[in-house]
Amino acid sequence: MRSTLTIIILFICSYITAQTTITGKVTDPKGNPIQSANIYLEGTYDGGSSNEDGSFSFSTEETGEQTLVISFLSFETYNLTTNISKMTALKITLREDVNSLGSVILNAGTFSAGDNSKASVLNPLDIVTTAGAAGDYIGAFQTLPGTSTVAEDGRLFVRGGDANETNVYIDGLRVFQPFNATANNIPTRGRFSPFLFKGTNFSTGGYSAEYGDALSGVLLLNTIDEPDQEKTDLSFISVGLGIGNTQKWKKNSLSVNAFYLNLKPYQEIISQRVDWIKPFESLSGEAVYRYKFNKGLLKIYGGLNYTDLQLIQEDINVPEGINFGLKNRNLYFNTSYKGSLGNDWKIATGISFANDHNDVKIVNTDVDNDDNSFHVKIKLRKRFSNRFKLNFGAEQFINDFSEKASDPDFDTFRTSYNNNSTAAFAEANVFFNKSLAMQIGVRGVHNTLLDYTKISPRASLAYKTSPKSQISLAYGDFYQAPQQDVLKYQTTLDPEKSSHYILNYLYQHNGKTLRAEAYYKSYNNLVKFDTERPEFNSIYNSSGDGYASGLDIFWRDNKSFRNFEYWTSYSYLKTERDYRNFPTKATPNFAAEHNVSLVTKYWVEDWKSLISGTYNFATGRPYNDPNTTIFQNRKTKAYNSLNFSWAYLISQQKILYFSVSNVLGTDNIFNYQYSNTPDVNGNFARRPIRQPADRFFIVGFFWTISDNKTDNQLDNL
Amino acid sequence: MRLIILILSFFAITTIQSQTAYEKGMSKAFELWGNQKRDEAINLFERIAKAEKENWLPYYYAAQIHIVTSFSSKDAEEIETRLKKAQDYLNEAKIFSKDNAELLIMEAMLNTAYVVYDGAKYGMTHSGKVEELYQKAKILEPENPRAILYHAEWQMGAAKFWGKDPKAFCSEIEKAILYFEKEPSKTPFYPDWGKNQIARIQENCK
Repeated sequence: MRSTLTIIILFICSYITAQTTITGKVTDPKGNPIQSANIYLEGTYDGGSSNEDGSFSFSTEETGEQTLVISFLSFETYNLTTNISKMTALKITLREDVNSLGSVILNAGTFSAGDNSKASVLNPLDIVTTAGAAGDYIGAFQTLPGTSTVAEDGRLFVRGGDANETNVYIDGLRVFQPFNATANNIPTRGRFSPFLFKGTNFSTGGYSAEYGDALSGVLLLNTIDEPDQEKTDLSFISVGLGIGNTQKWKKNSLSVNAFYLNLKPYQEIISQRVDWIKPFESLSGEAVYRYKFNKGLLKIYGGLNYTDLQLIQEDINVPEGINFGLKNRNLYFNTSYKGSLGNDWKIATGISFANDHNDVKIVNTDVDNDDNSFHVKIKLRKRFSNRFKLNFGAEQFINDFSEKASDPDFDTFRTSYNNNSTAAFAEANVFFNKSLAMQIGVRGVHNTLLDYTKISPRASLAYKTSPKSQISLAYGDFYQAPQQDVLKYQTTLDPEKSSHYILNYLYQHNGKTLRAEAYYKSYNNLVKFDTERPEFNSIYNSSGDGYASGLDIFWRDNKSFRNFEYWTSYSYLKTERDYRNFPTKATPNFAAEHNVSLVTKYWVEDWKSLISGTYNFATGRPYNDPNTTIFQNRKTKAYNSLNFSWAYLISQQKILYFSVSNVLGTDNIFNYQYSNTPDVNGNFARRPIRQPADRFFIVGFFWTISDNKTDNQLDNL
Repeated sequence: MRLIILILSFFAITTIQSQTAYEKGMSKAFELWGNQKRDEAINLFERIAKAEKENWLPYYYAAQIHIVTSFSSKDAEEIETRLKKAQDYLNEAKIFSKDNAELLIMEAMLNTAYVVYDGAKYGMTHSGKVEELYQKAKILEPENPRAILYHAEWQMGAAKFWGKDPKAFCSEIEKAILYFEKEPSKTPFYPDWGKNQIARIQENCK
């Protein structure tokens, strides 16, 4: 009896410990063995690692149906559910994870900066430490290929397009007036302080179906999700004062900052070509509040800006000059929420609102205008797998503009319009494998003011030709409603249209990046009118057209020299268009044929200094000389500008900053204004349009106060 | 009677066995790590983490091996892949253990690894995080010797960079030594590493 029991117990024991051996081999799609893959039965301790030839073997006491999991870095995890007894001599091929570092990227047309993504060509510091940019986040983008140097304007001119053809978005929502209000030929700056942003995408063409109403480019700015710490920033600059403070508590954070800018003291020291009556003065305040939900993030941004200036503008036809005064008030709100809805669904939604008020005085004419703009958007994203993702969404734009012009000699003249549009978009991201990816999308828009409905397709394809290089293609159609200066007088017009064809080559290896992009862009339905400027009695039509083609080259090297980084870009641009009041197809004044930028940054460890130099060169710009017969046939002399900045870190939280733009004082000429009437000899006299001053200096002291004494404002300079 | 004892002891053995599967696995993983079989050790920690559920320790150690390994690698792709994976493990661990000083210290190490790997790209953005993580860890556990020791090392590095005297933080190391002595032994496998780094960090005090 006893022995029987013992046998039974022994039997039970051996039954319980009966072991199955699981064996197999793990390879990549090309059949190469994968070493150190993790292979285990889900929910148990049983498992092992693959060895050099990819084979694995381990024993288990589990029985019946089980799930075998095979995972390895930069490969997709593989699950096999079957009966244990069948888990022998398995042949397992892992698929490459298309999200991993070595994968192809869909980058045609796009530069990304600061988001640490694979496609990043600029890091966060670059945006702000570029000499000549003077803390304006737009300045660094003007050193990238595909942009034209239009120093008297300050905005982004992308690939033969004028500045209105590029739109700016913050957290996916439209910014309606991204630049400070200014007078003609006085360069403007971006309205927003650079330290609000953590990542930026700048597309010079072929961008996603998510964005519309821009013919040439989009600049996408993303605000910081969570500030690192509580701190107070003080800035004392030769032209103004700034203060900022960040507070964090529980799931909330709040950053506020204010800046006062007054160019009066500066303009009294440095001689100006412009006769200022009231030098540029502006006061701006911004606040960002963030709240972290368990599955999402809410951000509320508000900014208010006052600008006031008055000057005598030189004019060849008005010997005493034109008295121009401007008071601008701009209010901007932006509220966004992004979060996860579970089940691989994500949502991004938000609203933005802008109220822009201008009070302009031109000699005796008073112009008051109010522009209220509103954008609401919702975007959903479903991730079906790592290899297939779908984005779709809808948005509504409302724009209400009214203007009143009064002059003692004429009646008061009023104009107004409501420019509303509704759009929907859908886009699919498909990764066929680690080397081949495609994005295909479509956007539909209906505009009630101009009464049009347009469908625009977008597509891009990327193929990895070697571990270090890839080529990509992009195509897209883009529509944009005419601008405010035309819409206030004429609303029976077609939307302007462009089509982009882009071929991109990218090489990235060991801190070096080479990016070359060739493109062709066609323009159709451009607005034309029969007067020098759009006027209430001009005759308008949508019969203009044109093209732009060129080659953009970008080279960056971070590694070859210690503590020294540089990038250089070259843009070749050939463009002609028949638009506005052009009598024929011609190259517009803003489009120089060759643009070159060289940006250098040198960190001098012994001096604790970051020294940066930027050189910009552009060939002569076309202008029209009425003394010749051919329209827009002359060219100005070439543009040269050498800029320099020096940031000296006195201590960890105190920085002394010095910057000078156009060190050599080159007298650049952008254009010529000709007299309306010829002189006695039949010649039209002219006046060059030059820089308001040859050089611009900034001296500043930046002080950060925080418990954690490592932070400073170097990333804001 | 003997039979009953036999049966009882059998059950006792099986229950003890199932209790110690975790301990056996963890010991085995540390052994693999000790034998420089790092990826196998990571794999085993990951398996334990997946089987245990709701236990932060195996994730913590899997992350630590990735971070330590990245310090000795020169291959950018390997470093980024390992650090990304380490962050994933820490994120998992944080789900099961909120306000855990040890996890914050490990995250500080992770951010330090990014700064060491590419200062130009990550220096500005990640240095602030390192500082904040050590401070948070010290608020949660003012006597945690690892928080004190590694924070001191980080601050010494910054002091050297700014041309200041790193010796200012030597008293912190003395404190860390004291707390290492006093460190209570908590649950099995609770982090207790770092003591052998004191001599290396104290080099700054000579």
